[in-house]
Amino acid sequence: MSASYLVFFLLGLLTIGGAVFMINFKRVVHMVIAVGVSFLSIAGLFVLLGAEFVAISQILVYSGAISILMLFGIMLTKHDASEEGSKSKGRVWLTFLGVAALFVVIFTGIQNTNWSAIPVKENTSSLSNVKEIGIEVFTKYVIPFELVSVLLLVALVGAIVMAKKEEE
Amino acid sequence: MSSWLEQAPSLTNVLHYSLAAVALLLVVLGFVTYAIYFERKVIGWMQLRPGPNRVGPLGLLQTISDVTKLLLKEDTRPKHADKALFTLAPILAYSPAFAVLAVMPFTDTIQFADLGVGVLYYIALSSITVMGVITAGWASNNKYSLIGGMRSAAQMISYEVPLVMSVVGIILMTGSLNLKDIVYAQQDVWNIVPQFLGFIVFLIAAQAELNRSPFDLPEAESELVAGYHVEYSGFRFAMFMLAEYVYMFGMGTLIVVLFLGGWLPIHPSLDFIPPIIWFIIKFMFYVFLQFWLRATMPRFRADQLMGFAWKVLLPVALFNIMLTAFVITYQNGFM
Repeated sequence: MSASYLVFFLLGLLTIGGAVFMINFKRVVHMVIAVGVSFLSIAGLFVLLGAEFVAISQILVYSGAISILMLFGIMLTKHDASEEGSKSKGRVWLTFLGVAALFVVIFTGIQNTNWSAIPVKENTSSLSNVKEIGIEVFTKYVIPFELVSVLLLVALVGAIVMAKKEEE
Repeated sequence: MSSWLEQAPSLTNVLHYSLAAVALLLVVLGFVTYAIYFERKVIGWMQLRPGPNRVGPLGLLQTISDVTKLLLKEDTRPKHADKALFTLAPILAYSPAFAVLAVMPFTDTIQFADLGVGVLYYIALSSITVMGVITAGWASNNKYSLIGGMRSAAQMISYEVPLVMSVVGIILMTGSLNLKDIVYAQQDVWNIVPQFLGFIVFLIAAQAELNRSPFDLPEAESELVAGYHVEYSGFRFAMFMLAEYVYMFGMGTLIVVLFLGGWLPIHPSLDFIPPIIWFIIKFMFYVFLQFWLRATMPRFRADQLMGFAWKVLLPVALFNIMLTAFVITYQNGFM
C-alpha cells in the first residue's frame, strides 16, 4: 500500500465529512469551518493528482472566501440558532430518492466516459505545470478566459455600484 | 513531492521526515526565543533603558522563563465561549505558519520540498491564518476580541492583494514560481535593484500581513485591550504569539529569497563564506528592521488603513507590473 493511497482515503474522508457536517451543524460559524475543511481537502486531492498549481489556487481563493463568508455569517445572521421543526417522513424519503437518482446518473456517467480518448499531455513534470497552464490559457482558451475576466469585472463594478448607492 | 508519496510508508521513511520536521521546529523555536529577547533589548536601547537584564547573564534566560510561566499557567476558558472553536483557533492560526517553511530554500541543499509554485504556496497557506484569527475572535464571545478579529481579517485580506501583486514583477523576470529558480536568477544582480518599487510595496504589505508596527491595529491595546486574543491565556496564547513570530521568520526568509538573493554572496569573490551564513546575515538585517520600526513608528489609524492598501499600494504594484512587462518585452526585441 503506497502512501498516496492512504492520503487519498484520508482526504476523501475529510472532504465528504466536512460537507456532511456543514449540512448538520446549526451555527453558521461551525458550518463555515466545516466547509473550509472540505475545500482544503479538495486542494489536497489536487496535489495527489500532481496539479499543484490548481491546489494552491484552490487554497488561495477559498481560504479568503471562507473568511469573508464567516464575517458575513457573523454579521448578517442570528446568533442564537434554534432547532427547526423536524422534517416529515415523506420528505426524507423524497430527498433520499433524489439523491439516489443523482448518484446513479453521475456514477454511470463516470463509468461510461472513455478516459483514454482524452489525449494525455506528455512531459508535464510537476515543476512546469504552471507554464503549461499559462500557455494553454493564453493560446487555445484565450477567448473563454477573457470572457470570464470580463464577467468578474462586471460583478466587481456591480458590487461597488450597489455599495455606493447605500451610502447616499 | 509526489515521488515520496509514491513510496511505501515504511517506518524509517516516516521517522526520517518527522525527525527533519522536529529539527526545523527546534530551530524555529530557538529563533523565536531569542527574537523576543533581542526585540526587547533593541527597543530598550533605542528608548535609553537597559531592557531585560535580571534572569540569567544579560537577561538571556528571560524569554525562557516567560514561556515556562505561560506553559505552566492554568488553562482558562470563558464560560460562554464556543468550546470547540476556542480550542481549534490557535491550531488553525499556528499550523500554516509552520507549514509555509516547508518550501523555503535556506541554501542550495537545505530545503524540505522543492515545489514548483513555491511563492504562491506561501501566500495561499498564510491566508489560512486569517480564518484562525476570525475564529478566535468569534469563539471568545467577547466584543473586543470580535472587533479585533474583524479588523485583523479586513487588514490581512486587503494587504494580501498588493503583496501578491508586488511579487509578479519578479515572477515575470524569472519566468518561474519556484523559489530556487528565483534565487538562481539573481546571480548577477539581486532583485532589489531592478524591482525596487516592488520591494517597497512588498515590505510595507508584509508588515501589515504580519500585524506588526505600524500596522499592529488588530492588537491596539488602547482601543481593543488585546485584539482577537483577549480571552486567551496560557499555552493557547503562547501559540498565537508563536504563530506571529514564526510568520516573521517565514516572511524574513521569503524576502531574502525573493529580493536579497537568498544564499548568494554579495560579490562572487566572497563565496568562501558558506551560503547559510550569507542567508543568516541577510535574514538578521530584516529582523532588525522589524524591531527598529517597532521602536520608532506610531500606529496607523483604522480609517487610513484600508485606503492606503487600495489607493496607494495596489496602483504602485500594478504600475510596477506594467513597467516590468514593458522592459522585458523591449529586451526581447518585440518593440
